[in-house]
Amino acid sequence: MKKMNALLSSLLILASFTNCNSGEETQPEVPLEAVLVENIHAPNDVIDRTTGQVTEVRPFRYFSLEGNKLVESQGGDWDIGFKGITIIVNSGISGSGSARGTVVSGVFDEMDAVPATANLISDGPNGLAIPTGSGNGWYNYNFTSHVVSPIPGRVLLFKTNAGNYAKVEILSYYQNNPPLADVSGFSTPSAYYTFRYILQPNGSKEF
Amino acid sequence: MYRISLNKYNTIFWLLFLVGIEVIAQPGDHIYVKDKKGNPIPHAVIRIQKDSAFSVSQEGSFELPLQLDPEVWIEVTAMGYDPQLIKVKDLYARPILNLQEKIGQLGEVVVAATRTDRSVENLPMPVTIIGNEQIQETGGMRLSEVLREQTGLQVVNNHGSGLQMQGLSSDYILILLDGEPLIGRTAGNFDLDRISVSNIERIEVLRGPSSAIYGSEAMAGVINIVTKTSQQRFSATLESRYRTFNTVDMGAEVGFNKDDWSLYAYFNRFSTDGFDLNPEVIGKTQSPFTANTAQFKIGKKLNKWDFKLYSRFYDERSANVMEVRGGSERRLADLTGERLDLNLNPTIRFTPNEKWLLTLRSMSSVFETNTKMRFQENLELLDNQDFRQIYHRTEVQVDHQVAKNQLLTVGAGHLIESVSATRYDDNNRFDAGYLFLQHQWDPTEKWNIVSGVRGDLHSQYGGRISPKLSGMYAFNDKFSWQLSVGAGFKAPDFRQLLLNFNNASAGYYVFGATLVQDGIEQLQSQGLAQQILIDPAQFGTLKAETSTAINTGFRWKLSNDLLITGNFFQNFISNLIETAPVARLTSGQNAFSYFNVSSVITRGTEVDWTYRIADNLEVSVGYMYLDARDMDVLAKIDEGEIFKRDAQNRTRRVTRGEYGGLFNRSRHSGNVKVTYQEPFSGINASLRAIYRGRFGFGDINGNLILDDPSEYARGLTSWNLSINKTFNSGVMLEAGGFNLLNQINLFDPTNPGRLLFVGAKLPLHQLLKTTN
Repeated sequence: MKKMNALLSSLLILASFTNCNSGEETQPEVPLEAVLVENIHAPNDVIDRTTGQVTEVRPFRYFSLEGNKLVESQGGDWDIGFKGITIIVNSGISGSGSARGTVVSGVFDEMDAVPATANLISDGPNGLAIPTGSGNGWYNYNFTSHVVSPIPGRVLLFKTNAGNYAKVEILSYYQNNPPLADVSGFSTPSAYYTFRYILQPNGSKEF
Repeated sequence: MYRISLNKYNTIFWLLFLVGIEVIAQPGDHIYVKDKKGNPIPHAVIRIQKDSAFSVSQEGSFELPLQLDPEVWIEVTAMGYDPQLIKVKDLYARPILNLQEKIGQLGEVVVAATRTDRSVENLPMPVTIIGNEQIQETGGMRLSEVLREQTGLQVVNNHGSGLQMQGLSSDYILILLDGEPLIGRTAGNFDLDRISVSNIERIEVLRGPSSAIYGSEAMAGVINIVTKTSQQRFSATLESRYRTFNTVDMGAEVGFNKDDWSLYAYFNRFSTDGFDLNPEVIGKTQSPFTANTAQFKIGKKLNKWDFKLYSRFYDERSANVMEVRGGSERRLADLTGERLDLNLNPTIRFTPNEKWLLTLRSMSSVFETNTKMRFQENLELLDNQDFRQIYHRTEVQVDHQVAKNQLLTVGAGHLIESVSATRYDDNNRFDAGYLFLQHQWDPTEKWNIVSGVRGDLHSQYGGRISPKLSGMYAFNDKFSWQLSVGAGFKAPDFRQLLLNFNNASAGYYVFGATLVQDGIEQLQSQGLAQQILIDPAQFGTLKAETSTAINTGFRWKLSNDLLITGNFFQNFISNLIETAPVARLTSGQNAFSYFNVSSVITRGTEVDWTYRIADNLEVSVGYMYLDARDMDVLAKIDEGEIFKRDAQNRTRRVTRGEYGGLFNRSRHSGNVKVTYQEPFSGINASLRAIYRGRFGFGDINGNLILDDPSEYARGLTSWNLSINKTFNSGVMLEAGGFNLLNQINLFDPTNPGRLLFVGAKLPLHQLLKTTN
């Protein structure tokens, strides 16, 4: 099931209206819109848990931040890809593009620029731009409840193939973005990415 | 010759009471000292006027000297009882003295607190006693069921039923059996269900750090389980209880005393079908298990020498089922577990004179576990884990009465500990030596000071000095204030040092601190490690966890029948050992090891109010307030580094007010207990309401801390009732229930819901005498 909507998050409308009212008239800024992407289904390979062997390989789901759409093949113009709990960028070992990425700490709404310290890298043999493993990148994995929870306060930063910066917050790994309290690690349909992002189309690092 | 059985005394007493016959005593006749139930008190001391003091006989009786002025006062004292003053002429009128037991077990003797015999009311630190009768009244079969009813103690699930004291978990509570440490912990937790209660004489609960006399583990406090010894010439008792979930508890004990020899043997068999809180998940919440406990004690007194040999044997077998998922495939596997525990504890005591006491003792223990997992369909062995721990301690202790008001204790000991386990590396022997010194001093009538220090030298983590100072000031007979300041520590355990664990299916590794260097190097050489996350200079330097604590409180005996005790505590623990990732692997998983990372503070108050409304009716109320926080989490919140998600899963910052502290701690907990003895029918009833307030069960919103209402389990009250009657033959019958309102919380797997029980106790020695 995939469904994509572009809509203004209510918080952002509120924030930008306040800005307009109090802002100076000489700088008419067009507020950037946060895009909500829902339910990208990206199931992982099938793995036999007793042996750790992959029994069925599944493809990544490729996504273009510039076009806000899924891209069908690895050869297309995609920026990021999803499979299971892994997120890749289109460069290095993952693709022929030039996309970069990293994970930083912070609040999505408050992050008004790419931090100077952020080091956006491509996927390399020594690790992906968005690291895997519980607590390393975008998620925590609970070994007892088997719940994958996006770490609050983690913002994913990307540079697209076109050279524009985007900030992304993964909201949920479960179908229809349920509150985490309602998620069961055993029964809630998983590998359904819901995230929101803001792309700065003018090439600057400000959002 | 000890010919009179307990129940005969009861009969005589009630006869007198009911019919109101006044037996007129003559000089030279026996006067009996008894408790309120009519049982003789053989350790009472009689003082006529101020000069002469003498003990009563084995039957608790004494004779008045001839030609005594009827107006003379006689003082009767006995440890554990309120003293009584009576005129000679009143004794002539009624030759039975009934002493009132001190309220709140104040008069009980405690060994654990100072390693010498002292009564609760003379100890300048918070101590409570759970007596034999109270244990009987709860109707519990395993130690967890008795301890969970005490103010300030919680039983929480963590690889079994673990104790929590002053907000600190089982890892930091030393469990002693007759003064000697019990071993065998899983992930730091001592499973209280391993201990049967029917052979327990009393339980001493000592709060606050006691590393100054016990060393490692005694950081939150100490539980000393004192088992029964044979007191009578011959005794033999059978008892049995049956309750919900087909749980059967059967016990037998035999005691024998002759020519300063004493023998005691105990056997208990416990079996249960287990219970299941979550039937949708395959497998039971508590595995069905069968446990056998045997204990044998032999003692011989020879002039100034006292020899004892205690031994205990425990064997437990459990079985359960679980589901193993491999991709979309689901297979059932049988889980079987076995635990074995053996203790041997010889003691030699030598009392050359009344000022010196020398004790030489040792404890040798073996603890073994085995767990197996097999697929049901083909019996293929999926997992087989062995664990074997050997512990040996030898200790010498010298007590010297320096002066009438000063008692000095010096001790030295050595311990060897070793472990072999499927998941552990081979290099696994610990050696440690220690020395402790304690001075008990009553400088004036009103002051009472206990100071102590212990030095530990350990082969794995070096040296450690643990001091403790406690003092009490008695403003008057009714009110005393106490203050105790001490240090505690817990040595890194075998798991934290020697674990070598690789979860093949999930692809992560855990290395003990002494193995992490080699482990990471090996992963690197295999090309599996991608990035080292922690400076290798930090590898292998695991220090002991340490605490400093203050306990201060009061005992306020408003009358002989009304007692309020209170204790305020604060524990500050640093160098807490936790796992942290050391390397990121190419598989995307991590390798972990153990580090001294965080610091925790627990503070709160414990208050108990006990009121004896009448000789046969007592009410008590207990309450604990607890605040337990991780200091590092607080620092991160202040720096704005901890976040949470709203209902739409968007991120915002966590505020200090939202932080709920450590998981699994109830801010509020308490109990109300009523015990009643119906005088005519002889039926005893005990009703208890045990409240455990809401607690955080785990992280839901992804930030790993307790900060969201959805992360709390609701508080609940367990209503427990037991009723028993002891017949003249000594036979006791009982019935009752735990958690009568069936309050269940999925997040507390130690609580099975409503349990109903019936039981009987047959004292064979009394039955034989009655028929004679």
